[in-house]
Amino acid sequence: MRYRNATAYRFLTPYLLIFAIFWIWPIISSFLISFQATRTLPWRFAPAFNWGRLIGDPAFFNALKNTLLILVIQVPVMISLAVVMAVLLNSPLLKARGLYRFAFFAPVVVGEVAYSAVFRLMFSLDFGIINKLLNSVGLEKIDWFSNVTPAMALIMIAVTWRWAGYNAIIILAGLQSIPEDVYEAATLDRVSKVKQFFHITLPLLKPVIVFCAVLSIIGTMQLFTEPFLITERGGPGGGTETLGLLLYRQGFRSLNFGYASAIAYTMAGLAIAITLVQLWLMREPK
Amino acid sequence: MAAVTLTNVVKRFGTFEVVHGANIAIADGEFVVFVGPSGCGKSTLLRMIAGLEDISGGEIAIGGKLVNDVEAADRGIAMVFQSYALYPHMTVEQNLSFGLRMNGNPKADTDRRVKRAAGILCIEELMQRRPKQLSGGQRQRVAIGRAIVREPQVFLFDEPLSNLDAELRVQMRVEISRLHKELGVTMIYVTHDQTEAMTLADRIVVLKAGNVEQIGAPLDLYDDPANRFVAGFIGSPKMNFLKANVVEQDQRSVTVELANHGGAKLKKPLCEALPAVGTEVVLGVRPEHFFEVGEGDCDIPVKADVAEHLGSVSYVYANAGAEELVVEREAARQRASGDHFTVSIKAERSLLFDKTGARIR
Ligand SMILES: Nc1ncnc2c1ncn2[C@@H]1O[C@H](COP(=O)(O)OP(=O)(O)OP(=O)(O)O)[C@@H](O)[C@H]1O
Ligand SMILES: [Mg+2]
Repeated sequence: MRYRNATAYRFLTPYLLIFAIFWIWPIISSFLISFQATRTLPWRFAPAFNWGRLIGDPAFFNALKNTLLILVIQVPVMISLAVVMAVLLNSPLLKARGLYRFAFFAPVVVGEVAYSAVFRLMFSLDFGIINKLLNSVGLEKIDWFSNVTPAMALIMIAVTWRWAGYNAIIILAGLQSIPEDVYEAATLDRVSKVKQFFHITLPLLKPVIVFCAVLSIIGTMQLFTEPFLITERGGPGGGTETLGLLLYRQGFRSLNFGYASAIAYTMAGLAIAITLVQLWLMREPK
Repeated sequence: MAAVTLTNVVKRFGTFEVVHGANIAIADGEFVVFVGPSGCGKSTLLRMIAGLEDISGGEIAIGGKLVNDVEAADRGIAMVFQSYALYPHMTVEQNLSFGLRMNGNPKADTDRRVKRAAGILCIEELMQRRPKQLSGGQRQRVAIGRAIVREPQVFLFDEPLSNLDAELRVQMRVEISRLHKELGVTMIYVTHDQTEAMTLADRIVVLKAGNVEQIGAPLDLYDDPANRFVAGFIGSPKMNFLKANVVEQDQRSVTVELANHGGAKLKKPLCEALPAVGTEVVLGVRPEHFFEVGEGDCDIPVKADVAEHLGSVSYVYANAGAEELVVEREAARQRASGDHFTVSIKAERSLLFDKTGARIR
């Protein structure tokens, strides 16, 4: 038995080596770097340098506030939308189901740059179709890129557009695993379709929804593409800067790796904390 | 309490017709079993009665009221599903009370009904468990309990015991029978197990490929089947069918020669039109209706291929080549493969069918 295990590990060695070098080591290394002052060479050990700065840094709190705001609004809206989409997709009345399934999944496949470019076009002040539509129903044009609130809304809309379908497909799989006869039993029990949804479908979907929510929270905590490409590096004036962007700015622009590492660890820690709280809130009652 | 009447009921899925005009009249308080091979339309019929499947043609009445266009929930029926269909996220108690709670039934009445159902089925200790913490038999009880709580006029069961092991199946069968006596309501029960049908039913409806083949009391179907299908379906092991030719005819009887058994002849009295000399017919003999040499009207020699000894009875499978026969014997423990012996057929314990399978009486 021992011997057989040893053989297995020998076969695994190449993979484990790569895993150690490119995964484990960076994780440890960045943790160590976060305790070093890296603004000037040589780097020196100074725990308060980055972590101390973090606690008092208005840019950090701005990014944190923006990230959490997006998280708190966008994730619930997107998950609710995904549930509705999944239910519609699962309806026996729907024709051309395969087409919809593809359409829902397509945003994930489209290149990030292409999608961001399209969003910039659609929301542009004078030529964008969105403003034209607003105008045509008698509403004021919105300057999506120069005001903080519309810019934040735009980020949330874009992220929701990109990931709602993906989540809907996952939730659809959960829906399809609920046996049909449970609904038939409920129909015989004179339970209306709406009540069936709230008392049977939703409770039974809970594990899948929690899974989607956890994935989305982790994704949103690291949000980068949209504020970088669509609102041009967190514009206007840092109004949509997220933790991911701040990290990029510190690490790649200022080459301040110590501070960037501290931010990265804060992001990961927050994602884990929020996820744990959520798992605890949604736990199976004993 | 309600009678259930099906008049020329037809069911089509698209253009594919699966039930071809069923006429079944079920009396108030009766226990009727739909039986037939897989795919014959038993579940479809039951689901049409329940209102889970719409009716393509004909009429279904429950308690004298036409229900073709009545919602499933308003038909006064309750259904027990083969897969139990319990709500997985609710406790047993919540499963039982769900329908009533959702419809704003007064809490005191709901509690009373749930308690009563739990009492009838002896599931009081399970009330706080969830379905996945229950055994198959316990789940089945809960499913039946959920039906009882509705206080329906008609119970529908769709193969409720098919997921249980043999012992539990016998136990639940007895319990369902007891339940029927206790509640006195109409029950319609679907199964493909003829033993369940024979033991539970007041009357059996035998179905084949969407057609009602025969309706009758269990022993009537056993003694007097309308055709070869019913004769073969009711009774276990299956009835033997022996190829035969009519060789002689007189006033009230025909003599048939058994083609595969060395020209053995049997004189069979009949009361309806006699088949002509030369007609090919089929003689049906149940395994338990082979007698000792000399006791019957026609002796045939057989050679045992396989013998199954179950203790109280033995089944001998004989003559594999020409025409396989199953012979039941109470005292055949010493019979072994390769034995030659002779059995005897009694005219009054055999049935005659024509080539299409219709009974010749
Ligand atoms: N929704 C459906 N669409 C098309 N055909 C169906 C549908 N449901 C059932 N059928 C067909 O109708 C016939 C009868 O089916 P049904 O389920 O009533 O059989 P059954 O007698 O209950 O069989 P079993 O003993 O296997 O449960 C079958 O040929 C089946 O393929
Ligand atoms: Mg069936």
